[in-house]
Amino acid sequence: MKIFNKLKRKGLSQFTLRFFVFLAIIFVLDFSIGRILKSFYFTQDSGLLFRTTFAMDSTTAQMLIFGSSTANHHYEPHSFENRLNVSLYNAGRDGNNIFYHFAVLQGILIRYSPKIAILDFNKLEFAKNPDSYDRITSLLPYYETNPKIRSIIELKSPYEKYKLLSKIYPFNSILFTVAVGNLDVNKDRKNNNDIDGYIPISKVWKNPLSLDTPVLKYEIDSNKVKYFRSFITECIKSDVNLFIVVSPRFIKYTTEDISIALAHEISDEFNIPFYDFSNDPYFLNHPELFADISHLNQNGAKIYSNKVIDKILDYHP
Amino acid sequence: MVFTSVVYFLFLICSLVVYYLLPARFRNYFLIAVSIFFYMYVKAAYIFIIAFIIIANYFLGNLIESSHSKKIRFRYLFLSLIINLGVLVFFKYWNFAVQNLFDLLGIFHIYKPIPVFLEIALPIGLSYYIFQTIGYITDIYRGSIKAENNFFHFTLFTLFFPKLLVGPIERANRFLPQLSKPKYFDTENFIEGSKRIVWGLFKKLVVADRIAIYQNAVMASTNEQSGSTLVFASILYTFQVYADFSGYTDIALGTARLFGFDLMENFKQPLLAKNVSDFWRRWHISLSSWVNDYVFNPIALKYRNWGIWSVFYALLISFVIIGVWHGASWNYVAFGLLQAIALIYETITKKQRKKLAKKIPVFLYNSISIILTFSFICFSLIIFRSEKFSDAENIIKGIFSNPGTLFFDNPSTLLFMLLGCVGMMIYDIQKEFKLPQLSFFTSKNWVLQQVAYAVLIIYILLAGVFDGGQFIYFSF
Repeated sequence: MKIFNKLKRKGLSQFTLRFFVFLAIIFVLDFSIGRILKSFYFTQDSGLLFRTTFAMDSTTAQMLIFGSSTANHHYEPHSFENRLNVSLYNAGRDGNNIFYHFAVLQGILIRYSPKIAILDFNKLEFAKNPDSYDRITSLLPYYETNPKIRSIIELKSPYEKYKLLSKIYPFNSILFTVAVGNLDVNKDRKNNNDIDGYIPISKVWKNPLSLDTPVLKYEIDSNKVKYFRSFITECIKSDVNLFIVVSPRFIKYTTEDISIALAHEISDEFNIPFYDFSNDPYFLNHPELFADISHLNQNGAKIYSNKVIDKILDYHP
Repeated sequence: MVFTSVVYFLFLICSLVVYYLLPARFRNYFLIAVSIFFYMYVKAAYIFIIAFIIIANYFLGNLIESSHSKKIRFRYLFLSLIINLGVLVFFKYWNFAVQNLFDLLGIFHIYKPIPVFLEIALPIGLSYYIFQTIGYITDIYRGSIKAENNFFHFTLFTLFFPKLLVGPIERANRFLPQLSKPKYFDTENFIEGSKRIVWGLFKKLVVADRIAIYQNAVMASTNEQSGSTLVFASILYTFQVYADFSGYTDIALGTARLFGFDLMENFKQPLLAKNVSDFWRRWHISLSSWVNDYVFNPIALKYRNWGIWSVFYALLISFVIIGVWHGASWNYVAFGLLQAIALIYETITKKQRKKLAKKIPVFLYNSISIILTFSFICFSLIIFRSEKFSDAENIIKGIFSNPGTLFFDNPSTLLFMLLGCVGMMIYDIQKEFKLPQLSFFTSKNWVLQQVAYAVLIIYILLAGVFDGGQFIYFSF
C-alpha cells in the first residue's frame, strides 16, 4: 500500500514536526488570548455584557424582571421599589428569548431566591426560528463558570461543547465590546446608563397606530415550550411569586397569537397569573407613550409599571 | 453540508484518512462514494437528476466520438443539449417562463388558460454541473477532446464533491487526465490545500458573514436609510459577494488539493480590475471563460462578416446568458445587459483610452481606472441583488435624495467588517503587485509563515461569524 511515496523519511519527520509546532502555536495563542478576554469580560463594570454578568453572579434584588427588550425598557424600578417596597433588578436583554431567561434564572437560583419575578412574554415567542438558537451565543462566556446552564448552551448545536474547547470562541465577536466595557467612558454613553438594569428610552412615537399583520399559524418550538414550563416550575420550587406579563405595543391586534394563547394556557395550568396588555386600549390611544411600535418610552414605562403593580397588588394585596 | 460547518470538516477529515489508507487503485471509486454521500446529504432525491445527466452525457459523448457522419454527430450533440438544457430550464426557468408568457398573452388580450406553476426547488449545483457537461460534449463534438471511456472517471468528473455545489465549472481537458494519475499523500498538497481552506474560512466567516449582518439591517428598511448608508452598503455588498464566493472557491480548491486534485482558479483579484473586460477575466473565471468559449467565440465567428457588430452582438448574447445563469429573474437579465453595454463602450473607446493613458502618469491612470471599474461593479450589483426593479430603483433614488448620517447599529460589527475587508484587500494587493513586504503568508521563513497562519486562525475565532448563513452562490 503506497501512501507516502513522495516522502522520504526526513521529509515526513520535518512535516510532522512543523505540523505539531503549528498546533502548539495555535494552542498557546488561543489559550492566552482566551484567558485575557475572559478576565476582561468579567471585570467590565458597565454595558450590556456586564448587566448579564451582574444578573447571574451578583444581584440580590428581591424582585427580578426577565424578558427581551420589552422587559428591559418597560419596567421602571422606582415605581416597583416604592409601591411594593422591594429592591428590583431588571435582567432583561434585547433580542433574547426563553433560553436566555431560563439560563439567567438558573444562575440566580443557585445563589438565592427572589420574592417576585416577572417574565415579560412576547408575541411569536414560541415560534420555531433558528435565530433563537444563535442568540444563545450571549451565554457562551458563562459555560465554564455556570455549569448549570451548559445544557441550554448545548442546544445551540451538538458540536458546541467541542467548539468551546477553544478559549477564544466564547468571546467571539465581542472583543471591542469587552474593551469598551472596561473603559470609564462607557459609563457616560447614552443608552448605557441603566437604572438597576432598566434602560429608559426618551424618544416619542409620532406615527399612527399600526394594524397587525396576523401570522395565524406557525410551527411551535417544543424546546421553547419546555423551557417556559421549566421557568415556571423552577420559580414554584424556589417559592418565587412569578407573574407572566405581555407588554403593550402600538399595534392593533385582530387575532390572538398562538404563542400567547399557549403561554396563557400553561400559566393557568400552574396557577401562575398571566396579564396581557398587548391590546390595552389605554396604550393604543396614546402614541406619545411609545418610542416605537414595540417599545414604550420612559413616560409610558412609568404608567405601564404602575398598571403592572396594580395587578400584583390585586393578586397579593 | 455547508463548507464552513463542523460537519463538513468531520466529513473531510474522515474522507481524507480513508482515502489515503485505501490502495491507490480504489481511491477514485471512494471519491465517487463520498461525493454521492455529500450530495445526498443535501437532499437525497437530487442524486437521480445528476445520475440521469451523467448517464445520458457519458453515452452521448461516446456516440458522438464513434460517429463518422457529421450530421449524426450533430444530432447527438443536439440531443445532449436538449437533455441538459431541458433539465436546467425545467428546474430553474419553468415558472419564470410561464409567468412571462402569460404576462405577454395578457398584453395582447389573448385568452389565458390557468398557468402551470411548479413548486419545485432548484437542485443545488445544477447550473454548475450542467454547464460543465455541455462543455464536455461540445469539446468532443469539436474534436478538441476525446470522449471518456471510463464511466467511473466521467462520473467523478461530474460528481467530485469540492466543485459540485458552487463550481468552479471545470473543463474536461483539465480534470479528466488527473483521474488517470495515481494519487499519493503529498505534504505540499496538504500544506497548500490547508492554507487555501484557512483563507476561504477567513473570507467567508470574517468578511462576508460579518458584512451580511450590516446588509440585512440596512436592506430591511432601504426607504428609511440615508444616501450615505446606501452607498456604504452597496460598496460593502461588492466585498461581501466577492468574499463569499471566492471564500467558497478557496475552500473548494483547498479541499481538492488535499485529495491531490488541481481545480481551475475562479478569481484573480477582481476588485483590482482596471476595466470591465479586465474584471470579467478575473471574476468567476470558470463561467466567463466557459461563455467565452462556447457562446461568444462561436457567435462572433459566425457573424464575422458583420464587422464590429458581430462582437457587440456576441457580447449582448453572452452577458445575457451570464446574467440569466444566475437565476430566472429580470434583474439578472438587466445585470447582464449592463455588463454588455459597458463592454461595448470599452470596445468603442479603446483607442481614445489608450491615448489618454499615455498623457497621464501610469499610477494615476491605473488608480482612477480601478476606482471607476469598482464603482461600476458596485452599481451593477445593486441591480443584481434586487429581487424587483423597484427595489433597485429605491436604493438608487435613496442614494441621491436621502441626506443623513451613516447608519451603524454596532461599532464592533463595523470595525470587524472594515478590518476584514482591509485584510482581504492587502492579500489581493500583495498577490497582484507582488509586494514582498506584505507577504508574511508566503515568507520563506517557515516559523514566520506558521505564525502568520496561526494568527489568521485566531482572528477567525475572534471575529468570524459562526452562526452565518449559506453561501450566496448556492442559490444559483
